[in-house]
Amino acid sequence: MSNLEKSTPEFKVEEIHIHNRKNKIKESTGYKVFTVVNTIIMILIAFATLYPFLYLVSQSFSSKEAIIAGHTSLIPKGFNIDTYIYVIKGQHNNYEFLRYYGNTILYTVIGTVLSLFFSCMLAYPLSKNKLKINRFLSPFVIFTMYFGGGLIANYVLILKLELKDTMWGFILPMLISTYYVILMRSFFMNIPKDLEEAGEIDGLNKFGVFWHIARPLSTPIIATMTLFYAVMYWNNWFNAKLYLQDKKKWPVAYYLQTIIRGGGGASDPDAEQMSANIKSCAMVLTVLPIICVYPFIQRYYVQGMMLGGVKE
Amino acid sequence: MKTTTLKKLSCIGLAVSMLSGFVACNKNTEEETSSEATTIPDQIETTEDPDANLPYTYGLGKTFHADQPVTYTMFFSDASWYPMVDTWKTEGIFKEIENRTNVTLDIKSYDSGDYMDNITLDINAGNAAYIIPKIYDDSAFVDGGAIVPISDYVDKMPYYTDFYNTYNLADDIKTITRANGKYYKLPGMKEANLINYSFVIRKDIWDAAGVDVVELQKDWDWAEFLDALQKVKKYMVAQGMCSESDYIWSDLWCGNESGQGSGGNLLGVMGSTYEVNAGWNIGNGMRYDQASDKYIFSPTTDNFKQFVTTANSFVAAGILDPETFTQDDATATAKYYSGKTAIMSINQGQWANYEENMTAQLGAGNFENYVITIPVGTTNNSTVAPERLENGVMISQKALDELGEDGFIQMLRFVDWLFYSHEAYDLTKWGIEGVHYDVVDGQKVLKDGFCCGGLGYGNDAEGSMTDIRLQWGYAGGNFWYGGTVAEMTDNLIPPVADYVNRDAEYRDTPPLAPGIAPTADQNEEINLIATPLISNVNSWTLKFITGQEDINAKWDEYVKSCEDLNAQGLVDIYAQLYKGK
Repeated sequence: MSNLEKSTPEFKVEEIHIHNRKNKIKESTGYKVFTVVNTIIMILIAFATLYPFLYLVSQSFSSKEAIIAGHTSLIPKGFNIDTYIYVIKGQHNNYEFLRYYGNTILYTVIGTVLSLFFSCMLAYPLSKNKLKINRFLSPFVIFTMYFGGGLIANYVLILKLELKDTMWGFILPMLISTYYVILMRSFFMNIPKDLEEAGEIDGLNKFGVFWHIARPLSTPIIATMTLFYAVMYWNNWFNAKLYLQDKKKWPVAYYLQTIIRGGGGASDPDAEQMSANIKSCAMVLTVLPIICVYPFIQRYYVQGMMLGGVKE
Repeated sequence: MKTTTLKKLSCIGLAVSMLSGFVACNKNTEEETSSEATTIPDQIETTEDPDANLPYTYGLGKTFHADQPVTYTMFFSDASWYPMVDTWKTEGIFKEIENRTNVTLDIKSYDSGDYMDNITLDINAGNAAYIIPKIYDDSAFVDGGAIVPISDYVDKMPYYTDFYNTYNLADDIKTITRANGKYYKLPGMKEANLINYSFVIRKDIWDAAGVDVVELQKDWDWAEFLDALQKVKKYMVAQGMCSESDYIWSDLWCGNESGQGSGGNLLGVMGSTYEVNAGWNIGNGMRYDQASDKYIFSPTTDNFKQFVTTANSFVAAGILDPETFTQDDATATAKYYSGKTAIMSINQGQWANYEENMTAQLGAGNFENYVITIPVGTTNNSTVAPERLENGVMISQKALDELGEDGFIQMLRFVDWLFYSHEAYDLTKWGIEGVHYDVVDGQKVLKDGFCCGGLGYGNDAEGSMTDIRLQWGYAGGNFWYGGTVAEMTDNLIPPVADYVNRDAEYRDTPPLAPGIAPTADQNEEINLIATPLISNVNSWTLKFITGQEDINAKWDEYVKSCEDLNAQGLVDIYAQLYKGK
């Protein structure tokens, strides 16, 4: 008995060993070539993806003359930081770029907090199947994913609410994203009912149950949604185009959009194009915070989509 | 049972709404066709009444001035390369307008790139400003009723009337007149059209190659021009400036970026000399033919075949780079600035820019630019557009509703002064005389310490001068355009003025095409036919020119493809609209 006990593990180890060796032998020709080719292709794809951005960074540090002559490559030619100083100071030395940056940060912070709060407030009741109103409310919410009032109707609404040219004109139209609400609703549905009922027995009202039980249990989805909403507010320029006429209230994304586009090309004789180094510099400055943060939070993007999608 | 009743009721409801819609459409059509078209007069008689007791001063030669301060809202196209700042209102252009007229302009500005989108939204949402400048195409607005048919009121505008009558603009105005005989925008009007787009050459290289461009250009045709370019290339190859396989003409404004897949500026210019629509000027392909007195589809004519053959000869001879039709503008300019090519497109506004960049690249004195007079094709006509009109100003119906008839006419007379008086033209373009500019020997010159990118006056190396456009909003694109030849040329620097004058001297003025006024339905039909048709024409044209298809062998197939896409349909619609003289 004891011999048998001893011999069994030895046999297993040997089997595994042989198995691995066999695999290695099998992989050595085709698989190795595949791995090498695959790696090369992946490196090329990664380089092709990175190249435009690196080129942009290089251009932003290059001199205007070098850019015009087409001499820029991945290494800046005529290295200088004058363009950055110029972009930050602005044509009139009024540091308008910093103001746009400040606006974006303000809109992103306020917008994200409000969006999260109201999205939770909507998603949580929607997750309760026993609520009869959900029969009406759910289709009503989902309907807005596919049909909208149209541009002019929305515009008139903002005008009549006197929200044009205010921060709220920028934030409110995208306060609640139906898609994110549905993701959150699915997540809330997975919270065990027993915990909520226990809270109610202990004397919590409905909001108390949400705030003290559901919310702490939903940290993953709330973190993901924070990210989603923050990126949405940071990148949005279209609402600014529609609702923010006063330039002092523009977010940086819209300012960037106007300078990149410049004039209407040669067909508009009045138009002049911004220098390429100014465009590149503004682009780098605008995208920088996202680039810095993105590697650390990138996994949440993928996870976030899965979080609400799987229902046990 | 209930469901059946509900269904029946819904069906009846739908039927009624469809029927009422149909009746409404019918009524509309009847109104449209029964309304008698107004005609555009050769001369407008003004209804100026100097003795009338009006709360404002106005009239030809006078500055409009309101007795009481008034405020009018105005849209403003704000260019990102000289963005509006507060000083424009507190001490610049808007303040000076207010000082002179007692009118405060309440500016609703939008970024120039989004200007049309935003004002369209505002106009459709009932939020239009009273004065709507910088309108190129007004067709999106005329049917909505939000814009005043301004032709009903132009007799109240002395400056407009005076310019219209002095320079006989009736035929030009007919080109923007709608089917009901009215027009909806006050266009910028020009005494004559001046050439804008041409080609700049490296005259130092051309001279060294033994090509006397100054003498040749007077009446050269495209074949002689090609000979000249071949001589230049031969010289450049001999000097080691390029190799035999290089192209010495690699143009901008023709690629996907600015050329919009049509061949852009180069083909537009070359096509004009063959009396065909091409490149930027392709439009819907329809063109008025003087000889037959009717509108023809120009891309299938013999002239068009000659034009593509000519264009192809430049590519075939190794002169014109076929990448011209795909490359970015920056690639083309980099080649010219660095001396790899010896010719490139230019417009009036680009001269200073080219000079500045080439000085940085090649060093001052190491190059000489020169703008040539465009070679002749089948006609000696200039390549300028025949219509002497520019973008214009619309007035919103809201102004009429809110100000009442008298207040509205008062506003129109202010608009008349602002956009058509010589005084306002000088003010909006040059600033205040004696403060920002002086008139020396009849020429306007900026005073010391001032510069202006828009007028061709660059800043010094230290950037110590004040730009009157950036600081105070003068020389902006919302106000000054059109005008007399003297006004339009008062800021042209000598080399630009030279090529403008040469074009006027060596080339003839193109004849004006008779105006046609399609209805909204006809416009839609024209667009439906033209969109795929022109896409087909552009695609074949580029294939012919770059040598991908043989012109002689494939010409019939190309013409057949246009016929299959209903080119005749366009001709028929135009034949309905224009019956001949």
